Formats: sequence, structure tokens, C-alpha cells
Amino acid sequence: MKYNSQKVAYIFFATCIGLLFLQIIYGFIMGFAHMGFDGLHDVIPFNAARATHTNLLVVWLLTGFMGASYYIIPEEADRELFSVKLAYVQWASLVLVGVVAVAGFHLGWWEGRKFLEIPRPLDYLVVVNVLMFIFNVGYTALKGRRFTTTGLVLLAGLVSAALLYLPGMIYFDSQVLDSYFRWWVVHLWVEGVWELIMGSLLSFLLIKLTGVDREVIEKWLYVIVGITFLSGILGTGHHYYWIGTPKYWLMVGGVFSALEPLAFLGMAIYAVAMMRRGGRRHPNRVALFWTVGCGILSFVGAGFLGFAHTLPQVNLYTHGTLVTAMHGHLAFWGAYATIVFGMIAYTLPELTGRKLYSGWMPEWAFWTSNIGMLGMTGALAVAGVAQVYLERRMGMDFLAAQKAVEVHFFGMILAASLFTVGIVLFAINFIQHGLPVSEATVSSTREPEPEPPSTPAMARSV
Amino acid sequence: MLSKSQARTFFIVFTGGFSLVFLGLTVDTVRAVPERSHEAELSDRAKRGKRLWDENNCMGCHTLLGEGGYYAPELTKVVERRGAAWIDLFLQDPQQMFPGQRKMVKYDFTAEERRDVIAFLTWIGEVDTNGFPAPPDMTLSGAAPGTNAGQIAAAPKPGADPLANAPTMFRTVCVACHAVGGVGGNTGPSLDGVADRYTAEALDQWLADPQAVKPGTAMPNLNLSDDVRGELVAWLRARGTQETSR
Repeated sequence: MKYNSQKVAYIFFATCIGLLFLQIIYGFIMGFAHMGFDGLHDVIPFNAARATHTNLLVVWLLTGFMGASYYIIPEEADRELFSVKLAYVQWASLVLVGVVAVAGFHLGWWEGRKFLEIPRPLDYLVVVNVLMFIFNVGYTALKGRRFTTTGLVLLAGLVSAALLYLPGMIYFDSQVLDSYFRWWVVHLWVEGVWELIMGSLLSFLLIKLTGVDREVIEKWLYVIVGITFLSGILGTGHHYYWIGTPKYWLMVGGVFSALEPLAFLGMAIYAVAMMRRGGRRHPNRVALFWTVGCGILSFVGAGFLGFAHTLPQVNLYTHGTLVTAMHGHLAFWGAYATIVFGMIAYTLPELTGRKLYSGWMPEWAFWTSNIGMLGMTGALAVAGVAQVYLERRMGMDFLAAQKAVEVHFFGMILAASLFTVGIVLFAINFIQHGLPVSEATVSSTREPEPEPPSTPAMARSV
Repeated sequence: MLSKSQARTFFIVFTGGFSLVFLGLTVDTVRAVPERSHEAELSDRAKRGKRLWDENNCMGCHTLLGEGGYYAPELTKVVERRGAAWIDLFLQDPQQMFPGQRKMVKYDFTAEERRDVIAFLTWIGEVDTNGFPAPPDMTLSGAAPGTNAGQIAAAPKPGADPLANAPTMFRTVCVACHAVGGVGGNTGPSLDGVADRYTAEALDQWLADPQAVKPGTAMPNLNLSDDVRGELVAWLRARGTQETSR
């Protein structure tokens, strides 16, 4: 950590992990409901659990992106953050909106629009919140001593994500147009501008962890985000096959979304190539695990598994089945959750001055959570493919087909338990790092900070 | 080798170019959608139905146009599949219609609201969706060993309409789950020959309270009046006689 104001990232990262736990709880509720154990139906019906699960995902990832930005922007701009106080106010308002939204979902206060369930009045608060955030980091970047490509791509991603939230706030009487513009938000976020954010975080971590020349890393960053938009913008068409939009979308969406894996393949090659090329061995090995893991899993989850059902001939049968849920889990985990975890794993020792990255716990957190998520994806894949054949191709009744795939949700719950173990280990490691300290500034060359002086045994090392 | 400024140019040109193409296609799509979705037929009732659809987050469990949760059935063609009368009855008490099955919230819609929702779903069913949802293409004519024959749709037999003379209740509601002569749903067993297996009294008792006859059955108690039950039993028995005499 070079600047004291970077400490503000900590509270965002801590919030991130807390929200992820809440998301996992709702995931279990849905997993059990799919198995037939829906005892909570009267209190938390499936649609409430689902809205909570998916919105928490979006919120914790955004919280992670914000924390990462508060850390990266001052470092890249070479100056303190414009206002630390504003950042805390923004954090508090974000948490407030989040709590109200989640509580609202349980009381039926929502819009029934997949992924954008937050009701309209709260949308305005989200806008205010995001403006506060963008102003804070944007002003810092503009007044900074340097303007790096990494910082620029990150800001471009954040500003476009904010702008693309707006089409989701228009009301249409026609379900077709409603859906058309809803995907402007959802698709152009996750298969567009979020990839700018992900790419810039990846680039930042690779610069820090591999020691490869910034010019080389940032050049390839441009190439990768270029491929992202080349494929991803018109790739939106894969959501426009069956919703009442013209037929040419089958061709446009099919061709361009088939190219989307290239951007993720680029991310994977990028991460692996830079790791191999890097002469410097950064001691924070586990942060590199998460960084390279992100590159590879984003390709597997978002790229490969997305491609598996993106062609119209396949999608005609898989659209609206558990196959989508299968792809969704590994895509969000691989592309976005792991990059946030990578940022946390890298920045935490920098923020707190405690280098707790070696030892079994952080590495086990990495392996168990990733293997758990792969297992969940596998279980959903089997359930999804079975559903497609039984219901969509053989004409079995929906509920009968669901009964037939119930058993796979037991596998899903087992894998989810393993995943949860990994997240718990990550959280314990997070807590062990303690709070960020000002003394950790430019700590990368220093020895680990001692325990608080209340522990006499440790006090001597000061 | 590629320089950084070339890489930046590549990024800017492609992003700008494809954004413009996307905007162009959007303009064309927004122009084409009203015709493809018969927007002229989007009545006020259907618009109110969409509000109800949104306010209750139906998409959190169901899919519509294939979009939503994957916990409850796809509803784009539900009016064609089940019929308005069935949906109206179902919405009054969803769990009663599928006892012991996956649950749906009972929303206590008024009769007007139920009509709104049905109007919305009727409108959606007529949108040109480029062939989604595709009709099952691997339907088995005979059930494979070990599968439940009752769950796979049997091909309708050629000839006269098996539902001719059927009581309204049968044509609008029962048929959503039960088939006669190969026409109807596949959730419940086919009712061909049911009158040969049960007496009129047994059929009447069954219709009046299925759970009392066979606890745990998926057959709903539809609170049918004596008259409607009588009509149904008489028709099923008359069909039985026709079949035997044939």
C-alpha cells in the first residue's frame, strides 16, 4: 500500500465476504427446495430466495469492484484518494440500500424482472450511490500524477457500467421490449463492461505479482478488451433468439456469441503467459493462484460452458432450463468472484501489514472452494441435460421431469458444502489479518507487522 | 510486433464500430417488435396483467419467453396448453391443484386480476418467438422399459374428436391433465376405459374428495358441484359404453 487512503478498500472487502455468506445461505435454501425440501416456502418462497441470491451476488461483486477501485486508483494515479470520508459515506449508503432491498424481497417489494428485482425507488438511490463512487475515484484519477492504461480501463468499465444501469429503469408495457432492454443491463454488464473491470484488475494483479513490464501487460489488456467488445456487443443477440425480436438475431447472436469465448481464452492465456514470463517471484503465491485461476476458470465457465449452449440450434432446447443455471454458476465464479478474491488476497497483506499468505489455510481455501464450485457446476450440468432431454425433447411433464432430476441436487448440495468450507477458510484467513494500519503504507519492502502490543511475546519484534 | 498504440486503436475502432451496428439493429428491432408481438392486441387488461406479473415476481420461479427462474413451468404457451378456465381455477388455489407437489404461493387474486393475468399470458402466447418453445421431437410412441408410460404423451388416434359431447368442465379443465382417445394432458393417467374399472358411485366419490379415497394422490379436489360431477360421471360412463360396443 502506497497511500493511506487505500485503507478504505478494507471495509468493502469485508462487506463482500459477509454478503457472499448470505448469498450461500439462500443458495442452500434453493438447493433444498429443488430436492423437495421446501419447508421454508411460507416464509421465504422460491422467488424471494432467488431474487435475494442473485441480487446479493451482483451487490457483493460490485462492492468488491468498488473496494478494488479504491485500492487501485490512488496507486495508479499516484496520489491519495480525493475523499476518504465520501468513500465511507458511499459504503454506508450502499449497505443501507442493500439491506432495504433484501428485506423488501421478503415482503414482496420488488420488480419481477430477472436480475433487476430492486424496486424503482431504490434504483434512484443506487444511481446516487454510484455517482458518489464514480466522482470520488474519477476525480482522484484526473488529478493524479499519472494516468495509466490499467486505471483508464478500470474507470471506463465503472462509468459504462453505471450508464448501462439506466436502460433497465425504463418501463415498457410490452414484455418483449422490456426484456430487450433488460439485457442491455444484464448482458452488456457481464459480457461487456464488467470484463473491462475484470481485465484491469487482472492486469493490475499481474503487474504486481509477476514483475512483467507494465507496457507489455497493458498492451495485451487492450487487445483482450478489444476482443471482448468485438464479440460481446453483438453477442447480446443470443438473448434475442426467442423473445419476439426479428429472426436476424439468430444469425447475429449465434456468430458473435460464438466468438465470446475468445475474449476469455485471451484472459486465460494472458494470465498464464505473464505468470510464466515473470522473473520475479512474489511471495504472495496464493494471490497469484487466484489471479491465474480467474483467467482459466473464466474461460471454462463463461467461455466454454457459455459456448456449449449459445448456438440457436442448441439453445432452442436448453433456453430456460437448468443448463443456464449451470453456466451461470461457473461463469460468475470464474470470471468475477475469483478476481475479487485475487484482489483481496493480494491487498490484504498490503493493507494490514501482516503477511499471512503462506501456510495451509489460504491455499486450502483456494482449492476447496474451486473444487466445490466445479462440483456444483457438474451436478447442475447433469440435472440440466437430463431436464432438456426429458422435458424439452421427450415431452415429459415439467414436474415429473423435475422429480427425475431431484437427486442431482443432493450432489449439488454436497459440492456446495465443500465450496462453503473453502469460503469459511478464506474468511478466517481474512479475519486473522486484522484491520488495516497506517504503518502498512509502502509495506511491500518491510517485514511483517507484529501483533498488537497487547501480546507481550510479540511486542519484542517491534 | 503489435505496439501498444495499435492495440489501443484496435480496441477503440472495434468497440465504436460494433456499438454503432448494435444501435442500428436496435432501431430496426424496436420498429419490428410491434408487428411481431401483435402490439395492437395488447389490451389494457393485458397491460394490467403484466403489472401483476412484475409485482409478484412470477419470473422468480417461472420462465416466460424462456426467461426467469427454473423452478416452475415455462409459461409462454400456457394458455394453449392448459386453457383459460384451468388457469383461472388453478390461480385460486395453486397447491390444491397439485397436492403434495412443488408449491406455488397463493396470491388471492380477485376474479378481475385473474382475468388480467390470463389476458397477459394469452398475448404472450401469440408473440412470434421464432419457434420457441420447440415441440418435443423425441416423443416415444411406446414407453421404454422402466419409464412411466402415463407421463409420456401418447399419439392421438385418428378419427372423430374424442372430446365431442364432453362436458365443459372436462373440455376446459380435466383435459389439461387427463387424455381421452389420445387427446389431452399427460400429468394424470389416461381416462380411456375408466368407467369399466369403477362404478358411478366410486367415480363420484373420487371427484368429490380424491384425498379421502387415495391419500397422497396428485388429483386435486376441485370443489365440483353435484351437478358438474354428475355430468362428468355420466359422460365417462357413456364413453365407456361406446368403446365396449365398438
